[in-house]
Parts: sequence; C-alpha cells; structure tokens
Amino acid sequence: MKEAFSLKLSSDVLVIDDGSVDKTAKMAEDAGANVVSLPFNLGIGAAVQTGFKYARNHEFDLVVRIDGDGQHDISYLEKIIDFLLKEELDIAIGSRFVGSLSNYRFSFVRRIGINFFSSLISLLTDYKVTDPTSGFRAYNKRMIKIFAEYYPHDFPEPEEILVADRYMAKIKETAVKMNKRVSGTSSIRYLKTLYYMIKVTFAILLDKFKRKGDDL
Amino acid sequence: MNIKILAIVISLSALIFVIDLIRREKLMFKYAFSWIIVSILAVFFSIFDKILFKIAYLLGFQLPSNFIFFSLLSVFVFLSLLITIFLCQQNNRNDIMAQKISLLELEIKKIKEKENK
Repeated sequence: MKEAFSLKLSSDVLVIDDGSVDKTAKMAEDAGANVVSLPFNLGIGAAVQTGFKYARNHEFDLVVRIDGDGQHDISYLEKIIDFLLKEELDIAIGSRFVGSLSNYRFSFVRRIGINFFSSLISLLTDYKVTDPTSGFRAYNKRMIKIFAEYYPHDFPEPEEILVADRYMAKIKETAVKMNKRVSGTSSIRYLKTLYYMIKVTFAILLDKFKRKGDDL
Repeated sequence: MNIKILAIVISLSALIFVIDLIRREKLMFKYAFSWIIVSILAVFFSIFDKILFKIAYLLGFQLPSNFIFFSLLSVFVFLSLLITIFLCQQNNRNDIMAQKISLLELEIKKIKEKENK
C-alpha cells in the first residue's frame, strides 16, 4: 500500500496500490476501501496523482492524503479538514513542528534535512513551511484539478509547494502528531540521505524556473 | 588511398543499413531522419575529403582528424539528448496510460458490484 486517500462527511476511501506484491491491496479491499491497483510501480509522484485524478473524475470537493505506512494519525483527519475549510486554504499541511504536540523524535540528519528544505522554500517562495516533507495534507477542489493535470514526479512533498507557488495557492500548516516509522539506521543511510537532499535541492531549484500556471 | 576506400565503404554501408531498416519498418522515418542525414554527410565527405580538409583548415583545426572527432562527438551528444527527450515523453505517456487503465478497472469493478446487488 503506497498512499491512502480518505474523506470524511460524505466520505470515500481510496487506496492506491503502486504495484505492490504483498496482500495490502486485498486487505484494504476487504476493509471496504476502493483500491486502485497500478499495473507496475510508477513511483510516488504518479501514484499520488492517480488519487487526484480519481477525485477530479468524481468531482470531490476536497482530498486528504495519508501515507500508507501508518505514520499519519487518522484522528487528526477532521482537524486538518476543518482547518482547510475555515481558513479557506488551497492546501493544509499537517506539520510535526507547529504547536506543542510534537513529541516526534528525529534523527540528527533528518532534522538538518527538514530545516534545510524549510529555509530553501522560504527563500524561493513566500511560504513559511516548517515541515515540507510531511505528506499529511488536505487539498481543495482547485488544487485537485491542478494536481490531477500536473503533479511533480520525483519528490512530491517539497515540490508540491513550488507548484502551488506557481499557481499562487494559499497554504498553511496545522499541528498534527505522527507515529514513528519503523526504520533502522546504517552508515549507508546517511549517504543516501545526503544524495536525496542534493537531488531534491536541484529539483526545487529547477521548479523555480518553470512557468507560472493558469487555473484549470 | 586505402583509407579513403575504407571510409567510403563504411559510410555507404551505414546509409544502406539505415535505409534497409526503414524499408523493413524497424525504424520509423520520424526517428531515422537524423541518421539518414548523418550517413549521407559521411558518404559525401569520405568521397570529397578535400572539402573536409578545407573546412577543417578554415575553422582553425590543426588536424583534419581533430575536426572529424569533434563533429562526430557533437552529433552524438545532440542525438543522445534527443533520445533522452523521447524517453521522457514515452515514460510520461506510459504513466498516464497506467493511471487511466487502473482507474477504469476500478470503475468497471464498481459497476459490476452494483449489478450483482
């Protein structure tokens, strides 16, 4: 299971299975969710975009994106939706650094990475985003239409903000709690993180050169 | 003189090979066109090598062979960039198709479930 989209009120849960070989797709289906099974691994960007296309085709008013690894606490779902509607935002980002909820422990490297992207984004755009790698986000109808048509391929979380900047979208953060992801550490991971940071930096800088977008 | 014959034979066979590939529909004209141009140029310059030497001299290359290497390298860098563009385009279309197919699959499944109820 790669990504889960879910909606409260008159809600509809969509699970995107990005060519996974385990039984998560079947499990989600048995639990009553709509499952989109991609024929092969498309990568995170195109997988998430599939959800936006579904939402656009069904003319949904809003979408909440939730990662499939159990990292995002579903009890904050309503809070993030309320925040989106009340503040009339285009994108509401669930942040681990806003407010006093934060008990999420980061490794040193991760914290540096997140701070780095946060400053890079505030340098290139007018947004102050404390948690640019958070995937716990709510989107309104306008963003659904835009992202269904054009969605960043490689590093969607930070790059989304750059795309939003081109469409002059309204973005704000609200506090959420996140569960710890199970992960090990090894020396290779640090090099990988550094490589990831360099790649994302290039991607973000190149995003800055792209044209401003017209509403769809 | 021998090297001139060798150059003519190689460039001519490249041209014939490209034409044959198009004839057997292994290459689409759209993508083979740049290869045709390149191999025609190669045939032309291997026959009229004096012209090649003159151009090399006019452009300020110390040796004609330097000019040949330089132009070949430039052509291939350009061609490989074109191929990368083509690859990205195909990758994009592939993704869109996969998204569309799987979304349609879900819709078909939903319709079937409704009918069975």
